[in-house]
Amino acid sequence: MSLKNLLNDWSHYRKGIEDGGFYEYEHMWGMVVDLNKCTGCNACSVSCYSENNLAVVGKDRMMKGQGLHWLRLERYWDEPDMGGDDKEFQERGGSFLPMMCQQCNAATCEVVCPVAATYHTPDGLNAQIYNRCIGSRYCSNNCPYRLRYFNFYSYYEESWPEPLNQQLNPDLSVRDKGVMEKCTFCIQRIRTGKDKAAREGREVRDGDVVTACAQSCPTQAITFGDLLDKDAQVTKLWKSHQVELGKTKQNKSDEDLRGYRVLEGLNTDPCVMYLDRVREV
Amino acid sequence: MLVSDYINSRQRRVGRASIKRSLAALFALMIGLGGMMSVSSVHAEVPNAVPPKGDHQGEDVPQPIEFPHDIHADINGINCMYCHTYARRSKVAGIPPTSKCMGCHSVIATDKPRIQKLTEYWENKESPQWNKVHDVPDFVHFTHEKHLQRFVFNNEGMDVDNVSEVCAFCHGDVKKMTVAHKVKPLNMGFCVRCHEANEGPSDCWKCHK
Repeated sequence: MSLKNLLNDWSHYRKGIEDGGFYEYEHMWGMVVDLNKCTGCNACSVSCYSENNLAVVGKDRMMKGQGLHWLRLERYWDEPDMGGDDKEFQERGGSFLPMMCQQCNAATCEVVCPVAATYHTPDGLNAQIYNRCIGSRYCSNNCPYRLRYFNFYSYYEESWPEPLNQQLNPDLSVRDKGVMEKCTFCIQRIRTGKDKAAREGREVRDGDVVTACAQSCPTQAITFGDLLDKDAQVTKLWKSHQVELGKTKQNKSDEDLRGYRVLEGLNTDPCVMYLDRVREV
Repeated sequence: MLVSDYINSRQRRVGRASIKRSLAALFALMIGLGGMMSVSSVHAEVPNAVPPKGDHQGEDVPQPIEFPHDIHADINGINCMYCHTYARRSKVAGIPPTSKCMGCHSVIATDKPRIQKLTEYWENKESPQWNKVHDVPDFVHFTHEKHLQRFVFNNEGMDVDNVSEVCAFCHGDVKKMTVAHKVKPLNMGFCVRCHEANEGPSDCWKCHK
């Protein structure tokens, strides 16, 4: 069963690359994060916590690397020669990089799961099935982005004591200990959007599905949509920055185009494109 | 609609129901006489569907009022979706508000103890705290809407009046029960076998969340 799934996923993917279009997929959910607009306010991360029932683990466990932030904001200080004398806290401040699961098409986590708890959906998403997960943590070790998080403890009573359990989102489960979890591109919202479209008897349109992070971003740095939809905002952005799926290196006509995918040289083929930050030197 | 029209239409409806009932009784009598079958009702077939198989013996779930599904759905022939309105448009089938009960029971069967109990709830502005019978685990996403669309509304040759046959796929023959009982296992094997037989989606994330 698991081997069959795996081989199906891979042949599906190979076909997508060779045909140059991933036509066999129903959707190909993708994202664009404009780092020029990102102010590092963490609103995306907070909204992710509340949308996806993420447990607040506390400082000690966070320091041990047991945090459960599906969307984390990475902070990078600028080059030392750009600021003042203080090497640790520089005048020019830091740059921020929101990192959520990159939903790789050739996901390195999928191939190592011994029980096929992670697989590729017909939507081009990298799915994690909590019930099937046995907590081997191979996937987390094989993820080059370190975007998979393991439940080392059971947080239900600790993180949501009464009456805070009322804030839990009923559209997805509360994970228990021993289970790996990761960003799902808000699968519950995708499901709702698709159901709504089906009820109205039409195709899913751009804007039907908005992830929690994209919705809460005050500067609208995050754009979410279907990469197979030609009219979608994301598709236009990917096209205008000449970034394509299924490539390890992009052929750009202009060096100044800002679009890039993180670690795409590893051939993970992620579905998240970042737009590089431009600063005055 | 005028009040007189309403009363007329109501009388007509009651009249039709009683004719239907007497016909059903006659039919049952004939079958009984013939000795051909032991069941008194004949199930309508659901077109383009393979009903799921599997039985389960659920525990008794106590309810604040012993609601008789048989009197409502079978004897009076009320459509399931008259009370469970949300089934066709949302994830949950929905429990009707007490006002819906009182819509009929402010005049019908007001002398019965169960109705008096209901009226008491209504006058105290409380809702009966019904207990859940068919409870799927929290990690399962099940939507009534999609299933009803597939088997009833987008199903050619399916009469909406027979919707109880579709409900019976997972809820059993509620028409013959008083308080609902869980008689189908509703586990993953039960769901998946039906999805395979009826070509439903097999993607994990369609149902797991």
